[in-house]
Amino acid sequence: MDDDNSNAFRRMSSRTRKVAPKMAAALGSSDNRTQAALARLEALENDNTGIEAVEMNDDDEASLDDDDQAYMQKRFKGTKRKTRQAKALENARKAPRTFLELLHEANLESLPPHVPSYLRAAVGPPSSTSRRHFCSVCGFTASYTCVTCGMRFCSCRCQNIHNDTRCMKFVA
Amino acid sequence: MSNVVVLDNGGGLIKAGQGGERDPAVVIPNCLYRPLTSKKFLHPTTTLSSTNEDLTSAAIRRPIDRGYLINPDLQRDIWSHLFTSLLHVTPSSSCLLLTEPLFSLPSIQRSTDELVFEDFGFNSLFVADSPSLVHLYESSRRPYGLVSEAQCSLVVDCGFSFTHAAPVFQNFTVNYGVKRIDLGGKALTNYLKELVSYRSVNVMDETFLMDDVKEKLCFVSLDVERDLQIARKHGKDNLFRCTYILPDGVTHTKGYVKDPEAAQRHLTLTDGAPPARAVETKKERDKLEVMEKTERKIMDLTKNEFDLTNERFLVPEMIFQPADLGMNEAGLAECIVRAVNACHPYLHPVLYQSIILTGGSTLFPRFAERLQKDLRPLVPDDYQVKITTQEDPILGVWRGGSLLASNPEFESMCVTKADYEELGSARCRRRFLH
Repeated sequence: MDDDNSNAFRRMSSRTRKVAPKMAAALGSSDNRTQAALARLEALENDNTGIEAVEMNDDDEASLDDDDQAYMQKRFKGTKRKTRQAKALENARKAPRTFLELLHEANLESLPPHVPSYLRAAVGPPSSTSRRHFCSVCGFTASYTCVTCGMRFCSCRCQNIHNDTRCMKFVA
Repeated sequence: MSNVVVLDNGGGLIKAGQGGERDPAVVIPNCLYRPLTSKKFLHPTTTLSSTNEDLTSAAIRRPIDRGYLINPDLQRDIWSHLFTSLLHVTPSSSCLLLTEPLFSLPSIQRSTDELVFEDFGFNSLFVADSPSLVHLYESSRRPYGLVSEAQCSLVVDCGFSFTHAAPVFQNFTVNYGVKRIDLGGKALTNYLKELVSYRSVNVMDETFLMDDVKEKLCFVSLDVERDLQIARKHGKDNLFRCTYILPDGVTHTKGYVKDPEAAQRHLTLTDGAPPARAVETKKERDKLEVMEKTERKIMDLTKNEFDLTNERFLVPEMIFQPADLGMNEAGLAECIVRAVNACHPYLHPVLYQSIILTGGSTLFPRFAERLQKDLRPLVPDDYQVKITTQEDPILGVWRGGSLLASNPEFESMCVTKADYEELGSARCRRRFLH
């Protein structure tokens, strides 16, 4: 399962136009921890996580092996890539824009401060900065932090599971 | 008077029917879905939880993202199926009452208007926002209650895409007071998916299945610390452990809760008191032990099930403390306080006394109790806090719309097709004070 997911994300990151804005920000940021956190929040609004990757495969007619082949061809010819890119661009133009794109386009920041808008209706940060932490493996109160990725775990057992399967999962 | 179609176009469910009736004729998911057996995306004809179709790993396309209409083409598809095959109405001779989320962007409003007048050719249109409809419905139900006498209320709409706390005054939503948390049913389902996929079976593709799990098993904890301790226990001391059987595609195409009675055990916990286990008789305990043994046997035979313990209450917990998820947003209680504080001080005591909960995500057991518990310390002592739940939170908005549509003055409030053609979208919208 984790293989699937990491593939999905690698695929997403390989085509920048399909990447959600927060994801792009996450990929652009150098800090692994914020990357992971942002990408995770973005994933919560996805409709179908695993399937989208499959659909992209479909319209690309490319499996992983094909990708390798294409890569090889590209190295020798360099023409194949252009058509693929053009195709991707075309798809992106046809695709409906996301809400965040529309929001950006509406340019709500330019409104005077007394006008209520989508941005000003957001509830804002909590008054207390204390945050409870739950173990990413079993869900109980977690006292330890992974040094590499910042996720939480509660015990040695959970740490091992974390290291084996999901450390740095969201980071491309 | 032409007939009025009332359409509550939610991100999760479309509620549609004739104005003046009590319940909507059609409640369908606002999406197209593609089960594994099909090559095309299909239109849902009922709520998907009541069909017997195999929805394993079905792909979904939704026209609404984060609560707002982003894909008008897809919405046109869904609506035309709705109007022709399910509702059987002719748009050109009827009037449409449509709900729209608060703070819709001008570009989205324009595309909605185009959809209504140009693609479907509706006779006239009225756009309403959900908090004012809920207020209208609640005040008509209790004509002598506080909500209708003071003509104001605080509507907490915890829906599919987001959660709004909206003060309503004299049937108008006080838009500068509205506060929003970007968490709703969809995010909770996805969070549950993530947790279960991490911990037992990969269910990342199973949106419909996990929706069902969430609706049947999740509840709101009144004391998270204590409940975490209980969830750690083994055997029957653990009141929360509960098994969900996945569909096998042969004998049953729907997942189900293995032991629905055991799933309700968490309701025996009372606020603050230690778990009431002493009331169990020895007989019952023996019975449970026997059951446990047989259960263990079954578990060895079939592997297609998973256990839930602390996930059951940690998932809805996110609405109360989004910070736990890493979101830089205040929880629901604080959201309400901020919404109230944005209004005139004279309104504060009344607003706190007339909090109305609506939206599908408020259906979690003990949602209102927990909110009361969180809210009380944040509200000044001399104000009362009173939270009212709706009898059917999913349909509350629609019922308000139906009520509004049966008002004799309704027709004069609408924008007609001629107005739209004359003035265009932006100026028509001013009539609805958007």
